[in-house]
Amino acid sequence: MSSIIKKIALSGSAIFLLMQLYQPERNIDYVRVSPMHFFKTFSVPAKVQDVLQTSCFDCHSNNTNYPWYSYVQPVRMLMDSHINEGKENLNFSEFGTYSKRKQRSKLDRMIKQIKSDEMPLASYTMIHRNAILTNENKALLLKWIEKKSDSILANN
Amino acid sequence: MKNLIKMKKIILSTVLMAIVVVGCNQKNKQEESVNPEATENTSQLYSCPMHPEVTGKQGEECSKCGMELTEPVAQTETVSEEVKTVKVAATPFSATVDANVNDYLKVKNALVKDDSNGAAAAAKALLATFNAANTTSIDAKMKKEYIEIADDAKEHAEHIADNSGKIAHQREHFALLSKDMNDMIKTFGTNKKLYQDYCPMYDQGKSGYWISELTDIQNPYYGSEMLTCGGMVKEL
Repeated sequence: MSSIIKKIALSGSAIFLLMQLYQPERNIDYVRVSPMHFFKTFSVPAKVQDVLQTSCFDCHSNNTNYPWYSYVQPVRMLMDSHINEGKENLNFSEFGTYSKRKQRSKLDRMIKQIKSDEMPLASYTMIHRNAILTNENKALLLKWIEKKSDSILANN
Repeated sequence: MKNLIKMKKIILSTVLMAIVVVGCNQKNKQEESVNPEATENTSQLYSCPMHPEVTGKQGEECSKCGMELTEPVAQTETVSEEVKTVKVAATPFSATVDANVNDYLKVKNALVKDDSNGAAAAAKALLATFNAANTTSIDAKMKKEYIEIADDAKEHAEHIADNSGKIAHQREHFALLSKDMNDMIKTFGTNKKLYQDYCPMYDQGKSGYWISELTDIQNPYYGSEMLTCGGMVKEL
């Protein structure tokens, strides 16, 4: 009996150790910020920049601020799948490459997602407490995005 | 020594398992192809040799004189020929826009019925017609325009398709999809008679537009809750 437990524990830890060998490329831009970045497409006030940076950019840009446990598998794989999905839907680092139509529809989606508290994801803010949008920050963000969205609409 | 062999076995099996685990992580996305089945209507009408106004299926009797209906009705043939020539005259591209509009209207009608699953299925079909769009017959500038609109519309269709059960979320994307469809019809035109409708209640009056084939109001944003809320903005 004890040998079976031993076997399971041994193979389990062996799998865990082997998993650590899988360390794919990280989502970090190493300060080579794309000219198509959101902050270069629009002039964004510093306060709004800060909020976006702490609450959104980990999953919605080409530059994730990885925590220490991101070096541990399978945490990393879970994280990567989240980041990939996030970037697919909205990537602030490539916002300038979007058509005007897409930019507006993305701004519109941001407003809806923030208003309904769907973003930032609860599973994310559970660990990143500083990413939680305070009422003040939420209002700041919404006000700015709404203004931007309306101005794009007016120009088209 | 025996222990060593046992250990080797364990390590070997764990390596194998690890490979399997990693291998299983690579998801195989199955691409589904939607093949719209063409239903052909091949019922040929026959008329009475004495009373050409009496028509029916082959073998039936004339209601006036009781003679067998034997004369194939030429009228239906000419009608089908007319349809054919119309189709040939229209460019393949207007057919693309029409197909997009048709699928969009199915999404709309599912939302009118509060049918979240139906809307998802219809949006999936819309996505397929977008992906099958044939833009070879239009010039580069128009093509760019179409691709821009289609790219955005595809994203919204995808979200509607992926969120069956969350009808509020689907309706948010439907509002943006409706804007794309409106611009597409404005730019490329359509052979269909369509209307743009507007619900001032939805989204604080910001985005509650939709396109309908009906003259009366059937609200896709509220469905049964407020079925007739809104009004027609214009004919398209």
